[in-house]
Amino acid sequence: MKKILAALLLVPLAGLARADDKTEVKEAPKPQAVKFELVPSGHFIVKVKLNGHGPYNLIFDTGAPATLITPKVAREAKLLDKAKDKPLIPLFGMMGQVKIKDFQVGDVTAPGVSAMILDHPTVALFSKEYEKKYGSIEGIVGFPFFAQYKMTVDYAAREMTFVPNGYKATDAMQDLMQTVMNALMSKPEPRVAAPAGLWGLELTKGSSDDAEGVDVKTVLAGGAAAEGGLKAGDRILTIDGRWTDTIADAYVAASYAKPGKPVTVIVKRDGKEVKLTVAPKTGL
Amino acid sequence: MKYLLAAAALGLLFSPAGADEKKDPPPKTAVTYEIPYRLTDTKHVMVRVKLNGKGPYNFIIDTGAPALIMTEAVAKKVGGKEDKGWMTFDKVDLEGGLSIEKPRGVAIDMFQLKGMNSMGLAGVELHGVIGYNVLARYRIEYDFTEPKLKWTPVDFKVPDPKRIVDKGESQGGLEMIGSIIQMLSAFSGIKPNFEVHPRGFLGAELAAEEKELVVKSVLADGPADKAGLKAGDRIQTAKGKSLSKPEDLLETVKKLPEGSRLKLNVKRGEDTKEITVELGKGL
Repeated sequence: MKKILAALLLVPLAGLARADDKTEVKEAPKPQAVKFELVPSGHFIVKVKLNGHGPYNLIFDTGAPATLITPKVAREAKLLDKAKDKPLIPLFGMMGQVKIKDFQVGDVTAPGVSAMILDHPTVALFSKEYEKKYGSIEGIVGFPFFAQYKMTVDYAAREMTFVPNGYKATDAMQDLMQTVMNALMSKPEPRVAAPAGLWGLELTKGSSDDAEGVDVKTVLAGGAAAEGGLKAGDRILTIDGRWTDTIADAYVAASYAKPGKPVTVIVKRDGKEVKLTVAPKTGL
Repeated sequence: MKYLLAAAALGLLFSPAGADEKKDPPPKTAVTYEIPYRLTDTKHVMVRVKLNGKGPYNFIIDTGAPALIMTEAVAKKVGGKEDKGWMTFDKVDLEGGLSIEKPRGVAIDMFQLKGMNSMGLAGVELHGVIGYNVLARYRIEYDFTEPKLKWTPVDFKVPDPKRIVDKGESQGGLEMIGSIIQMLSAFSGIKPNFEVHPRGFLGAELAAEEKELVVKSVLADGPADKAGLKAGDRIQTAKGKSLSKPEDLLETVKKLPEGSRLKLNVKRGEDTKEITVELGKGL
C-alpha cells in the first residue's frame, strides 16, 4: 500500500489553501438567479440537468467538496461509459468519477464539473423522505460547481444567484489522496504562516496567557507598523477583522494583508480599544 | 482507501435531531458583515467561531447540515447548556465581527469530522459545522476569488428543522467510516499535525528595479541588518534560486520558520558577496 501510494506521490502540499489560488480576473456579467426548494429538514433541492438529461433533484451542499450523482442518473445521462477510476469493489455502488460537460443548475450552466458516481446512503435516506412530494433525489451539488461562481444563498427568498468568477478549483479527491500519501510518507510537518508584507514588528505572548490578543514586543523604527502608530506594549486584538489570539494567528492574519494595502488593526492600549491603520510594505 | 475517504469527506450532509419549538428572533439590522474564511485542504469553507467567548473553533459552512453542530467536547468546554434537545450559548461570535443572536446548536460528534481529524485531512482541526438554523438567517455571498464571505442578516423566522434521523440512529451505515478511518490512521501511524509556525523574519524592504531584486531599506537591528545586508544591494539568488523581484524571494522562503539560515548572493556595486542571514522573530 505504502509503495503504491509513494509511487503516486506528487508535489508536497502547500500551506493553507488561499482564497486567491489560481484565479483569473474576468468581466463580471449579470447575476443569474436559481430558485430552490427548501425542505423541512432544512436542506435545499435544486433542479440539475446533466448534458441536457434531466432535470434531476440534487441537494445543494456547501459542505460537500465533490459533486455526487447516483448510478441511476449517470446511466440515463450516458455518463457511465465515460467514468474513470472505477473501483474493483464498488463500495456504495461507486462507479468512478466523470467529468460532466454541461452541468446545469436552474438556468446556470457550468462547463466541466467532475462528479463521483455513487449511491450515498444519506442521499438515499433523503430520497426516501422526500420522494412523494418532490420526486427522487439523485445526488449532491458540491464545491466543483459553486466554486466557479460568486454565489449568494438567500433562504428567505429561496433563491441563489451566480456570477462566473474565473476561479479554477483543484480536484478535492486528488488533493485528499495527496494529503494521505504525504502523511504516510513522512511525519507531517507543521505549517508555516508567511506574512504577505513587511510590518517591522515583533510579537510575544506568555505561555499561561489565554486572554484574547497578542502583545507587541518591539516596533522597528521606520517600519510599516511604526508608521501606522503601533507601539511596544500594545495588545493586538484583530488584523483586518481577523482574530489574533495567538502569534500563529497573527501571522495567518498577516498572510492576507497584501503590501501597500492599508488594513485596520484594533489594539488595546491602556485599557481602551484603539483603531489603527497599517499598510505593510513590500519585503519580509 | 480512496472510496472510504470519498464517502467520509464528501458528504458533510447530515441529518441529525432537532427540537420542536420556534423562537428564533428575526435579525433587526441590515448591515453586511465581512467574514474571513479559509478553504481547507479538503475544500471545505471554514470560518472561526467563539462560543461563550471561548475558542476560536473551526467550523465548516454546511448547507447540507440542519443546524449548528459542534463536538460534545467543545460544547462541554465552553459551558453550553442543554435545553429541550438543543445546546444553548450566551454568545456565539464569528470572526469578522458578527454576533449571532440567541444561537442554538446540537452537540454531536459527527463521524465525518472524526474521520478527517484523525488523519488531519483538512489541514486544520475541525470542531463543527454551521448549518441551516443559523445560515438561513443571513444572505451569504461566497466568492473564492475574495478573502471574505459577506453575511447580510435577512428577516426570516427560521422554522426548526424536521428530524429525519434521530440522534444515535443510523445514517445508512456511514458512521462506521469515521471509525474505520480512525483505525486506519492509528494502524499506519499517521498523526495529524495542526501546528502553525511563524515564518522567519529578514527585516528588509524590497523592490524590483530593472529586473533585479533590490534592497530598498534595512530595518535597524533586524536580522538583515545584523548579517550586513545594505540598502542598494541587489539580491541575485536565495537558496540557489535566481530572483528578479520581491515575490520571488517571498516564494522561496515561505516555508522557512524562525531560526532558518538563508544564503543570499548579493551584488553591491561591482562586487559579489555571499551573505548568510539567520531569519529571526518578527514580521
